[in-house]
Amino acid sequence: MSTLHYLADGFAVALQWHNLIFAFVGVLIGTAVGVLPGIGPISGVALLIPVTSSLTGGLAPEEAATSAIILLAGVYYGAMYGGSTTSILLNTPGESSSVVTVLDGYPMAKQGRAGAALAIAAIGSFVAGIVSLGGLVLLAEPLSDIALKLSPADEFSLMVLGLCALSGLAGKSVTKALIMTVFGLLLATIGVDAVSGVDRFTFGVPQLYGGLEFLTIAVGLFALGEVFKTILENDGSEGEIAKITRVLPTKQDLKDSVGPIIRGSLVGFFKGIVPGSGATLASFLAYLLEKKISKHPEKFGKGAIEGVAAPESANNAASGGAMIPLLTLGIPGTGTTAVLMGALIMYNVQPGPLLFDEHPMIAWGLIASMFIGNVMLLILNMPLVKVFAKLIETPAKYLIPMIIAISIFGVYAVRVSIFDLMLLIACGVIGYFLSRNDYPLAPLVLGLVLGPMIENNLRRALTTSNGDFSIFVERPVSLLFLVIAVLWITIPLVMKMKGKKVIVNEEA
Amino acid sequence: MNKYFDRYASVIFALIGMLFVVESRNIATSAYGSQVGPNMFPMGLGILLILLSIRLFFESWKASGGENKSAPLQHKRFLVILAATCLYAYFLEDIGYVIGTFLFLLVGFRVMGAESWWKSGLIALLFSGGVYYLYVDILQGTLPGFPSWIGF
Repeated sequence: MSTLHYLADGFAVALQWHNLIFAFVGVLIGTAVGVLPGIGPISGVALLIPVTSSLTGGLAPEEAATSAIILLAGVYYGAMYGGSTTSILLNTPGESSSVVTVLDGYPMAKQGRAGAALAIAAIGSFVAGIVSLGGLVLLAEPLSDIALKLSPADEFSLMVLGLCALSGLAGKSVTKALIMTVFGLLLATIGVDAVSGVDRFTFGVPQLYGGLEFLTIAVGLFALGEVFKTILENDGSEGEIAKITRVLPTKQDLKDSVGPIIRGSLVGFFKGIVPGSGATLASFLAYLLEKKISKHPEKFGKGAIEGVAAPESANNAASGGAMIPLLTLGIPGTGTTAVLMGALIMYNVQPGPLLFDEHPMIAWGLIASMFIGNVMLLILNMPLVKVFAKLIETPAKYLIPMIIAISIFGVYAVRVSIFDLMLLIACGVIGYFLSRNDYPLAPLVLGLVLGPMIENNLRRALTTSNGDFSIFVERPVSLLFLVIAVLWITIPLVMKMKGKKVIVNEEA
Repeated sequence: MNKYFDRYASVIFALIGMLFVVESRNIATSAYGSQVGPNMFPMGLGILLILLSIRLFFESWKASGGENKSAPLQHKRFLVILAATCLYAYFLEDIGYVIGTFLFLLVGFRVMGAESWWKSGLIALLFSGGVYYLYVDILQGTLPGFPSWIGF
């Protein structure tokens, strides 16, 4: 009852005309971000933080935060729609979660069924978005009620679990992911300590007293890093874009896709809730599942509509599911949700169990706006898909310098400091070299965002126990989180070792 | 190449870890007598980072020959754009947003392979002028305006 009441209030917020515009702009830019090669959802969201903060400048603080997060979340799930377009038409995924869509989407386009593939992707994304939002509405209240009962020690362990979950699944090497996590946590300690007021690691540089600005680091690592990669590695050769003939799918296509869409939505949703797995893994899993239960597995890879419907539904459901740990526990499970969390913190809004109590307008307004945004995306992506397809042809020679200029503008607009611009460029170069050598960047950003909270909970817990570390293993809930965290890191390691042995055995 | 990068990176990360450990010993201890001062968390993390770096160092020795990505890198293009970006950021407040952005975009478009001066110039002008007008005149934000020696 109360949930429905809150949801109704949320719709009242989301249906305000300026929030409708924010949602529309968000999903529109999100779709464009998904379509344009070279900008993924993370850098898209990071780049838009400064733009939204200037757009919402005239609103009251809570309204500004609501509108901003509505727009930024729109970019996030909008990119999931757009990512399929390049996969299907160009044989190159617009972002990593659409990698699997290439397998069947491009063959479909070559057979002249590009329109059907795009339409099914849009419909699947829509259904998945609604399914995951339903789950979010149902789980939000109970989860945040449980989270409210956690002690500082429990919360510390939960955050450690979140960090381990993301590190355990990010990239090829767990060691590298853990290094990035710890490095991010260390960077978060720079600046004046909030508890004692002493400055740490500032080396007398006045710009460092406030700490490293999250926005500068995120835009540098993701947006500039990706741009530098394109400049260095893209030789300018462009693939051939398939033509779209008819947009509406046939009845047979629709009939074939119902099952995959529903299964993909469920797989994606549950995969999304688990921190660290994210949209990319969800789409892989959904594709493999469809192939396994299909009566004609040989059709996959040659233009099976099921191979488009399932992964596209899954990646959208996962992006909705990933909002659950972010909003209810304050633990972002993916790089993009970590950036969203950083944006909320910039507005002095702390995601987590208290969000639903203290700022119901933001939490429920966001949820309601995601329903509306998904409807907008369906409308945008069905009739207008041809317009978006044109975006693919945006020449990189104009796009790349403009992304750099937008990054500089965004950071300067928020920080008004040349020091931050220099830090931004340095982060871009570092981000490029790190990601080129398989050092995942998402754990670093997550560490940077979670760092102050982890430290705060650690110190509160240790103060109550008089500096005794055993508090973390004596409390059952905290112990449980820590055990899961250790398992999360070690099980993949053990499996890798076994997997390697199997490969060695085969070779011998 | 990958192998060597990992080796250097492990040394650098270990040094960063050491820096944080050493520096956290210099942090003034907490005033209110708690045993958990502001230096404990970074020191613990620094030690953790050193340990992880050592592990990475050994992993990089075990790894058999790095796989070289064969695509040739466009170093010249990258360095020119990087230099242009640094100059643009460094002199942004001196030459103002519109002029700086216009010049940067013009250079950027040309380096990235745009043939026509006219088209590049027009897009650069529209972008720099448009952003400045939208942000400063409509949204009332602050960006460095035109330099004073120009006269307006």
